[in-house]
Amino acid sequence: MKPKLQQTDLIIVGAGPAGLSAATAAADNGLSVTVIDEFPEPGGRMLGQFHEEQGHWWVGKRIADELIEKNRAQGVSIRCGVSVYGMLKVDQLWEVSTSHGTWTAPRVLLATGAAEIPMPTCGWTLPGVMSIGAAQVMTNVHYVKPGKRGLIIGVNVLAMAIARELSVSGVMLAGIVLPPGGPLAGKAALPRNNLQVLMGLSHLAPSPILRFGGKIAYALGMAGIVSSLFPRRGIKLWDIPLKLRTAAVSINGTDRVESVTLADVNAKGEIIAGSEREEAVDFVALAGGLYPLAELASVAGCPFIYTPELGGHLPLHSERMQTPVEGLYVAGNITGVESALVAMAQGQLAAASICSDAGVLGEDGDRKVVEAIGEVQRVRASALIQFHPGIPEARRKIYRMWQQTYEAGV
Amino acid sequence: MKPSSLIICRCEEVTIEQLEQAYQTGSCTSRQLKMKTRASMGACQGRVCRQLVDAWVHDKDPDSPHDAELLSYRPPIRPITFGQLAKGEL
Ligand SMILES: Cc1cc2nc3c(=O)[nH]c(=O)nc-3n(C[C@H](O)[C@H](O)[C@H](O)COP(=O)(O)OP(=O)(O)OC[C@H]3O[C@@H](n4cnc5c(N)ncnc54)[C@H](O)[C@@H]3O)c2cc1C
Ligand code: FES
Repeated sequence: MKPKLQQTDLIIVGAGPAGLSAATAAADNGLSVTVIDEFPEPGGRMLGQFHEEQGHWWVGKRIADELIEKNRAQGVSIRCGVSVYGMLKVDQLWEVSTSHGTWTAPRVLLATGAAEIPMPTCGWTLPGVMSIGAAQVMTNVHYVKPGKRGLIIGVNVLAMAIARELSVSGVMLAGIVLPPGGPLAGKAALPRNNLQVLMGLSHLAPSPILRFGGKIAYALGMAGIVSSLFPRRGIKLWDIPLKLRTAAVSINGTDRVESVTLADVNAKGEIIAGSEREEAVDFVALAGGLYPLAELASVAGCPFIYTPELGGHLPLHSERMQTPVEGLYVAGNITGVESALVAMAQGQLAAASICSDAGVLGEDGDRKVVEAIGEVQRVRASALIQFHPGIPEARRKIYRMWQQTYEAGV
Repeated sequence: MKPSSLIICRCEEVTIEQLEQAYQTGSCTSRQLKMKTRASMGACQGRVCRQLVDAWVHDKDPDSPHDAELLSYRPPIRPITFGQLAKGEL
């Protein structure tokens, strides 16, 4: 028996800010669009995000609701709780295989976002240990406190943003500490490196999260970036102790997390003998950073490039969000880890490219794509949350590489 | 707990010690380590541990290439039942 194939003009994998923005824009130009997401509800990572911006709160859930409403009004089909496990091109049509049957379309947009990198620490398989993103989803999406009192291991922008959210939601935090040194943590275990990360971020944007750096600079007086001067007991950001000279040695407990062994470290991240002590906590959140989730691009045969500023291996793509594989496009964090607003602008750009390639924009196609490229650049320049200072330059490098490989001689 | 018994691949319960042994006997790239130890071959298909195995290899040999080929993915990239598979293929 041949299975029933469900055909549309465009299949979008991922109902996060990138996928949903692309869907309304494409539907606006007359394409029939199906969005597929494995999470039970649409919105992607936006569902759990909120932060303070110039005196008011930016609430991701609200933005997601608006986008979903727009999509529904335009007749976009959003299928949740459906996992895409493979895709294959058969006679000019993509066959997208999912846990709930096969969809086909001439064009597919991958907007699968980013995934977390764990921060392995002795005892990290105990119940009560989770990734920082899981703590965010439990608290802000499911409204369940991850525990009574927790500890965050790993210092980065995401950890800081989520620490703030947890504290606003009434979850007590014993602090944010460094991971144990070793081959898995690398530079993330060095106090100086972390201080540089935070200081480097502080001047980029006036957001409260990134003003962290400024506060640290103040705590250090005029001493500059000298990690040995960072107070050993840490400094408090809002009410959360940030301890850049303390590392987690192990997570302890019989059936679940009961405590974490902490120790002081020197500037090289080495444990100072005799400084070990136990901190009683009932949950631990590991923050190792994010990487683009691009499995499907690999399955579809797209070449990859390695760009550490954007989170590692990512599918090669043009500034118009096309990949070298015909009919395959990418948008959002799959193209590099950036904030939700950038992902939304990228989604609109991908839709402009797709509609232009599908011939539904007539002579306006190129102009609309160029406008959308400009919008992405504008949003990127003003983004409050910047995951890495080198993003614009890294992007330019990718697009140059694309031009040299695919546009030379055209 | 010794750091060497730290689990790096949760799905297949592969420890740093096992990676070390495999490395010593000639499995030097993430792909070879995967074949030898099953690290990143589990139910999550490496979504949790792949970056860690990669970081571990780079710590061993900072000059090893960041080659995406070594980390290529094959369908199914999510756990599915035979029933689901059959529905799509028959
Ligand atoms: C844990 C975490 C916390 C973050 N917190 C912040 C923050 O506080 N502020 C900020 O600005 N940015 C944050 N980010 C960055 C965030 O990724 C972007 O802000 C934005 O959500 C990216 O949008 P996106 O549309 O690219 O992907 P996402 O919002 O991640 O959406 C991708 C969607 O694709 C779906 N998907 C993936 N693979 C498949 C598959 N095979 N089959 C079906 N569905 C699939 C997922 O279920 C998901 O819903 C965070 C990222 C993560 C991972
Ligand atoms: S953690 Fe290694 S395959 Fe899942």
